[in-house]
Amino acid sequence: MLRYIVNRFIQMVVVFFLFLIISYLLFDAIPGNAFQNLLLNPSLPPYAYEETIALYGLDQPLSVRLQKYIVNFFKGDLGYSYIQFPKTAIELIAERLPRTLMLFSVVNILAFYTGFFVGKILAWRRGSKSETWITITSVFSYTVFYPWFALLMLWFFGLRMGWVPIGKFLTPSKWYDSPFDSDVVFLEMIKYMVIFSVLYFVITLLTKEIESLNLRRNIRLGSFFALLFISNFYWNTGQLSEMRFYAGDIAYHTILPVLTVTIVAFAGTALLTRTTMMEVLKDDYILTARAKGLSQKRIRDRHAARTALLPVVTSFIFTIVTIIDGSVLTETIFSWPGMGQLILESVLREDIPVAMASFSFIGVFALIAHFLADVSYAFLDPRIRIKSQG
Amino acid sequence: MSKNLIEVRNLAKHFEISNSFFTGKKKIIKAVDEVSFNIKAGESLGLVGQSGCGKTTTARSLCLLEPKTSGSVNFFNPEKNIMESIDAIDEDGMRVFRRNMQMIFQDPYESLNPRWTIKDIIKEPLDIHNIGSLGEREEAIVEILRTVGLTPPENYLQRYPHEISGGQRQRVSIARTLIMKPKFVICDEPTSMLDVSIRISIMDLMLNLAKELDVSYLYITHDLAVARYMCNRIAVMFNGKLVEIAETEELLNNPIHPYTKRLISSIPIPDPGYKRERYEVNFDELDKIISSNPNEKMVDIGNEHLVATHDTKDFFIET
Amino acid sequence: MDTVNNSENNSLKYESLKRNFNLFKQSKIGVLGLVIVAFFGLLALLQPFLFLTNIWDEATYHPVVGYDSQKIQATVVSCKDIDYPTPEYKTPNDCPGPEEVNIVAVAPYNPGIQEGDVIEQFIQPAPPSSKHILGTDSLGRDVFSQLMEGSQVAFVLGLLSAIVGVGISTLLGTIAAYFGGAIDAYLMRQSDLVLMLPTLPLLFIISAFAELQVWHLALVLGIFGGLGGSVITIKSQALQVKVKPFVDSARITGGSRMKILISHILPNVAPLALLYMVFSVTGAIASESILSFLGLLNIDMSWGLMISVAQADGYINQGMEYWWLVLPAGLAVTLLAGGFYLVGRGLDDVFNPRLRKR
Ligand SMILES: Nc1ncnc2c1ncn2[C@@H]1O[C@H](COP(=O)(O)OP(=O)(O)O)[C@@H](O)[C@H]1O
Ligand SMILES: [Mg+2]
Repeated sequence: MLRYIVNRFIQMVVVFFLFLIISYLLFDAIPGNAFQNLLLNPSLPPYAYEETIALYGLDQPLSVRLQKYIVNFFKGDLGYSYIQFPKTAIELIAERLPRTLMLFSVVNILAFYTGFFVGKILAWRRGSKSETWITITSVFSYTVFYPWFALLMLWFFGLRMGWVPIGKFLTPSKWYDSPFDSDVVFLEMIKYMVIFSVLYFVITLLTKEIESLNLRRNIRLGSFFALLFISNFYWNTGQLSEMRFYAGDIAYHTILPVLTVTIVAFAGTALLTRTTMMEVLKDDYILTARAKGLSQKRIRDRHAARTALLPVVTSFIFTIVTIIDGSVLTETIFSWPGMGQLILESVLREDIPVAMASFSFIGVFALIAHFLADVSYAFLDPRIRIKSQG
Repeated sequence: MSKNLIEVRNLAKHFEISNSFFTGKKKIIKAVDEVSFNIKAGESLGLVGQSGCGKTTTARSLCLLEPKTSGSVNFFNPEKNIMESIDAIDEDGMRVFRRNMQMIFQDPYESLNPRWTIKDIIKEPLDIHNIGSLGEREEAIVEILRTVGLTPPENYLQRYPHEISGGQRQRVSIARTLIMKPKFVICDEPTSMLDVSIRISIMDLMLNLAKELDVSYLYITHDLAVARYMCNRIAVMFNGKLVEIAETEELLNNPIHPYTKRLISSIPIPDPGYKRERYEVNFDELDKIISSNPNEKMVDIGNEHLVATHDTKDFFIET
Repeated sequence: MDTVNNSENNSLKYESLKRNFNLFKQSKIGVLGLVIVAFFGLLALLQPFLFLTNIWDEATYHPVVGYDSQKIQATVVSCKDIDYPTPEYKTPNDCPGPEEVNIVAVAPYNPGIQEGDVIEQFIQPAPPSSKHILGTDSLGRDVFSQLMEGSQVAFVLGLLSAIVGVGISTLLGTIAAYFGGAIDAYLMRQSDLVLMLPTLPLLFIISAFAELQVWHLALVLGIFGGLGGSVITIKSQALQVKVKPFVDSARITGGSRMKILISHILPNVAPLALLYMVFSVTGAIASESILSFLGLLNIDMSWGLMISVAQADGYINQGMEYWWLVLPAGLAVTLLAGGFYLVGRGLDDVFNPRLRKR
């Protein structure tokens, strides 16, 4: 098995290497470069362009640049941004990433829970009228034309109702005299969310063995509100009590994007859960459970849902990989300055170091997810472990 | 004495299983362990043993579906009139081997391609070996369908496997197998998944065809009674090893190995007045003894009756 | 003799088609999907029919260069910066109301005009009327005709890219399953590589090289879809087929690897591949709409472009006031993509269990 993992790891490194080269060649092949607008500026001397190009090493042949880039990459030096010069690519990502992660981790958790819940019900009510209707609704919310839907949401909730702000992740006028950098507040919020989810997860684990489903649900719900209550104190301590105002502003801005993306994203999970659960429900041991006279709800929640969880979780891991990719549209429409916008800008303006850094960031994420999925399949599926001799 | 069609010497097939995912500790399963037997032309050998003892694996390594771990298999090449080792034959020899060796599978629902018509399924071997003109192939198909009892043949040609019953499918399998008139056919429990009511008709069909077409079977079954009905000789298999092999009547009348005795004692007898002694064997004990004698030979006790020679006195616990 | 056989064969095939369709009808959502897809299919075909039969003349109804203006008699009013609500208008947005025009907008072209005058006005975009059942856009073009044109684009692109993609993934997935070993490892890592590339930014890059035509996009989407995750799914199906006894039979009889691959494994992977194809149409339609929405596709008319224009001109921000510019195109993308998805679901629900049972 160790051999399998090592082997797979080596393949992974090779794939990543190829990925870097291909991405670099792609970016290089885009006609023009980031500094061409210097040529259009009549007040600059004509040599300004050549000098800038030389300064960034863009006058060298492709093979030399590629080689240097790869060497520096593995040394951990991803270069300076062409467009926002004194900042490095890594600095830019470090600034943008928390914003994207925060928005989309909330979305994903919400979408996962609602999706799994709805899917569970769908599978159980197979053939009923409500199943048909919920399925149809889910399908259309899955295939909805996303930018159009987001714009309509903006119009309705932002413009017409005026309930939520229409874009940006904070209200600039409130931040003029802010003692905090917005990124600090972001990090603080992410920290809070992680603590909150870990605590809630622990509670879920602890209550797993409770027999009565009603009791279990009530305990979980109760502890959820208890956690909310404790959060109140948490945000009242020390520096956090000052930060609270600003965090609130950011949270206010996240409402609409979160709502919009969740509506679209939950449906995918719901539909997948429905399919896998329907398969599980047909399995023998579920029939046995039914024959034993266990209550329908108990079979659904205890037996079927648990088994169906596996493929759904796997696909969930893969969705996390596509977060950054998927954030491009959302961030453009909601003017949310995160990774998606960074990638879009850097690609369109040919800020190669930043674009490469963002691409490789996504790449590493994806590779790790694939690797984990493969290894866990090998672990779960004994057929992979058997070798025929001869 | 007729000549051998197949000679199997010390055939072994091992599977390697990683027991623990992380440490990578391996366990070797000896699914087939040093098995030797011969099958003579025109004679059928029954391979009997409980489920999981390695019968299917023996068959699959015999016809090269799976690479064997060790041992040798020789077959009679009727075109050159010599015995050839299947590890050392040229392309032409392989072609002859493929033509003369076929297999019928246990599961009639999985052994016919669901996307093909019956006609295409039966025609496949003729197409692969390019036998006869197109017209001749069609005639041969109609002919063989009639032979296996699917009449009128025209009713079946254009049907798909899911449109006929399990017994009919097995007849199609038999037709496909026999259309090239092979000398040797492996039957892996061909009736075990059929309704009891049609088993006997399929078995009779196979017996008749064997006589008619001069075919030898390696007939795999877990049911000694079936083997007795179908075969001239019977080999008894236990956990990957042969423990006893003899002419059918000799084996039934004079079983030596306790496992054979155990099998015989469990054949149901239609006469309710007749009480046979029950014979019990401790399988774990037997397995221990067999695996502690890895290199033992089978000895001939006369009449071509071979028995494994391990020290059996410990479990001669006749009850 | 042969001809008799053939017609018999055809009638058998027809029978089996009919039987399968009857099975498919069991799935309500599948039938709904089929109705939706058929509706848009008809829309796509209707437009050339209308032009060819001269029921529509191109000058008025052409989706890109057609022009029609609608005249109305409008009362000149003045919308001042005063406190709303006023007796006539609830909010500033309501002024000018229907059949009214703000004096500020018309005064420069009509010197001496007074509040309360009635003048002739061209309205673009014009609301739905009997002549333009979905109204016209800001350039006086018929929205319904645009919708039909967009439907053609969606079908061509969706089907083309799905066929290309599924063709590739079926071939590669089967090969990976059947040959295994190094070929398999290579193909799997290749699909890792493809899955690593972020789709949308990649399409941006590609659109920077060349003006993307619809069929370019179809090929690109097809190839990337085909090399990516679907190879893995098809492979696992092919792995299941590979160990079936009928494949073993063919091997024992001496069938060559290529022959077994083509005649035994491919046909049994095909139903799943077909299912995949239906689902991937959904993705292709969405991608096309997003790209033309972002203006990255060299295309005269498409649903995405219609939304893009409506947004650029600010009609979306006015919500339902210009609903004929906002709703039809967006709903069309959603419905057609959803329709294909529902058909896929229906096929999956009805046929897959049977496929598995066999
Ligand atoms: N592909 C395989 N991988 C691992 N073990 C196998 C494989 N095929 C068979 N075995 C093992 O070999 C033994 C013999 O199996 P088999 O030949 O199918 O038995 P039989 O046909 O007598 O019922 C069993 O213990 C089975 O688990
Ligand atoms: Mg078996």
